[in-house]
Amino acid sequence: MPNILELNSIQTFIGQFHILEGVSLSVAEGSITALLGRNGAGKTTTLKSIIGLRPPRDGAVIFAGTDIRGRRPYDIAALGIGYVPEHRAIFRALTVEENLKIAERKKGDLARRADFIFGLFPDLKKFIKLSAGQLSGGQQQMLAIARALVPDNRLLLIDEPSEGLAPILIEQLMTSIRSLSAHTTVLLVEQNFRMASQLADSYYLIDDGKSVQHGAMKDLVNDRATIQRYLGAAQA
Amino acid sequence: MAWINQNRNALISAVIVVIVLALMFNGMSPQTASSVILSGITLAALYFLVASGVSLIFGLMDVLNFAHGSLFMIGAYAGWTYYTNPRLLFNTGSLLLALVAGFALSPLLARFIVLPRWARWLAFLIAFVIAIFSVRDFPIDKLVAMGMTMTGKVIPTAEAQEPMTTMLMRLAGAFLAGAVASAGIATRSAERRAAPMQQTIALVIGMIVAAVIILLAREPGEQFILQTDSNWRFLMAMVAGALTGGAIGALMEWGLIRPLYSRPIYQILLTLGLTFVFDQVVRFVWGPAGAFMEIPKWFNTPSKDCPSDNLWVWFAQNCDSVFIGGRPFPSYRLFIILVGILMLIVIALLLQRTRFGMIIRAGVQDSEMVEALGINVRRVFTLVFAIGAALAGLGGVVAAPFLGVYPGMAMEFLLQAFIVVVIGGLGSIPGAVAGALLVGLARAYGDNIVLAGIQLPWMKDAISGSPAIARASTVLIMAIVLFLKPTGIFGKKD
Ligand SMILES: Nc1ncnc2c1ncn2[C@@H]1O[C@H](COP(=O)(O)OP(=O)(O)OP(=O)(O)O)[C@@H](O)[C@H]1O
Ligand SMILES: [Mg+2]
Repeated sequence: MPNILELNSIQTFIGQFHILEGVSLSVAEGSITALLGRNGAGKTTTLKSIIGLRPPRDGAVIFAGTDIRGRRPYDIAALGIGYVPEHRAIFRALTVEENLKIAERKKGDLARRADFIFGLFPDLKKFIKLSAGQLSGGQQQMLAIARALVPDNRLLLIDEPSEGLAPILIEQLMTSIRSLSAHTTVLLVEQNFRMASQLADSYYLIDDGKSVQHGAMKDLVNDRATIQRYLGAAQA
Repeated sequence: MAWINQNRNALISAVIVVIVLALMFNGMSPQTASSVILSGITLAALYFLVASGVSLIFGLMDVLNFAHGSLFMIGAYAGWTYYTNPRLLFNTGSLLLALVAGFALSPLLARFIVLPRWARWLAFLIAFVIAIFSVRDFPIDKLVAMGMTMTGKVIPTAEAQEPMTTMLMRLAGAFLAGAVASAGIATRSAERRAAPMQQTIALVIGMIVAAVIILLAREPGEQFILQTDSNWRFLMAMVAGALTGGAIGALMEWGLIRPLYSRPIYQILLTLGLTFVFDQVVRFVWGPAGAFMEIPKWFNTPSKDCPSDNLWVWFAQNCDSVFIGGRPFPSYRLFIILVGILMLIVIALLLQRTRFGMIIRAGVQDSEMVEALGINVRRVFTLVFAIGAALAGLGGVVAAPFLGVYPGMAMEFLLQAFIVVVIGGLGSIPGAVAGALLVGLARAYGDNIVLAGIQLPWMKDAISGSPAIARASTVLIMAIVLFLKPTGIFGKKD
């Protein structure tokens, strides 16, 4: 499978702090790739570096064969990258419908994808006219993902979708992500190791701003030592 | 119920306001009360036109634009110039356009040369020298002297203007200055290189041609404008004020504020500095004295039937005032109120009914996320800045027949607009409306006290106030509101 995304030793700074000191990874088209690491390892910063919100100072970000490092976020997104940020950053003052509409890149995107989106997340259809701030936490997370599905994205960057969700909702979410991955590639940041291990085909581990290990997910599941070392005892 | 809970603070404030108003107007004759209220709403409409822009710009970009009062003033002067002294407009507008045409060359130059840092400064310096040289001895004072501003110094247009050949040379100089400066700002960014070359060339040539045409048409043009009847001339003046405000606003955002989005302190210093620059420019061009602006005929036709109780007569005869609550109230002020309401409706429709408005509302919460969806947020910022500035410029023109034009109006309206947005809540349009009404009414009430004095029940004589009290009252209201609700009445951000 060709790689839709490749990071080559990206260096990202926040202010004068050198946050990413060489993150490299590649994401195969059609796969779900998990990006794992402890709190503060730099997972979110990696996703922001890809979408251009925290442009790397050095290294390369290759998307579908071209280096997109240094381009503006709107320009990068328009190439077909959807970003689902952590903490469910939906637009609370807008209605559910507006939250979806705003993501349209061509007129009629939403209408075209409505069946697919509302098939995955029927609640959103029910509350379409409600202001998004009034949705439950789980529904807001659904909305954040749905928003990234409105245009034709080739790659989704999803940051900790399970954060703060009840176990039953996590199950639902996994089903949704699995079915949407039939259409797009997913780079998934996830603290919930059980969820990540069941969804992803391969993984990358980053620690302290550097990518340290990668491989097939099925190998990591049995590697207690690595899990304990990089993700902590609770996950092992 | 949910609605009441959500808007609890607003409702409480509304109740307090009603009680305070009832107390304030208690004991006032209905005639006085209604005229104070109408004057208050007139001021509120003007405050709203400035404050709504301040509020939108802050809400979306977190920029406190201290130059917004100056945009109001520039709008007023631009409108006034169109209305009373178009020869100034023709003679300076063409030069400005040529300068901008020079600047517009920069995407083209960026393809061929990108200067190192020191050479950029050199380019700016050379451009500055050329600019100075090309406006040397420009007879701005003669062009401005219309008898309205400078008593006893009316100069006929033909004598005030320089010969066409001189002006064409100045025009060429202005273009050259712009072109040299544009080499200083030419950068090798992808965005600029992406601009198609033919488009740039067409734009520049178009602007030069327009500048020359404006110059060649200066005499018939002046005659044409001065001969249109005052109503249409005034409407066009409103357009001119709004366009001038909008253009300066867009330029400000693009050239000065955008490079500083990560440095809010510099932005504040910069916009504050700009107020002094604008103040000096206005004093230099139009003089420090200020001028009146004649009220257009629609609102100011003397007639034996005026003022009349009959609304139809008032309307048909274009009376200068109308009886409201038994007292004549100037018609033109009703027009100001109308403009305020219309602009409120336009803003509301824009925000609630268009995709652009949806993007603004989303951007107020999280502009990074909006950009990550594939929307060019910078362009939205520039547009919103331009819209806010255009509203202020429009407000300036509308205010001019009521208050006149004078350099001090920038600071005065900046201050009131800031008080309005602080009271109403930064970033909230309903807040700007509420704040404008509060401040407007307080000002009108204060002005009335200054005139008539205030009669307290236990006192024999009325205490009369000084104008300072009227001004202080709005600051007092701000302090009270901030004490009760630090984010302002409708504010969510702080
Ligand atoms: N605005 C900021 N200023 C300074 N440092 C920051 C900023 N944002 C993040 N950091 C630092 O960057 C590092 C990486 O943060 P990042 O958010 O990418 O971690 P993460 O792996 O996503 O963590 P989590 O699992 O907690 O979300 C952390 O050490 C954090 O403290
Ligand atoms: Mg994170």
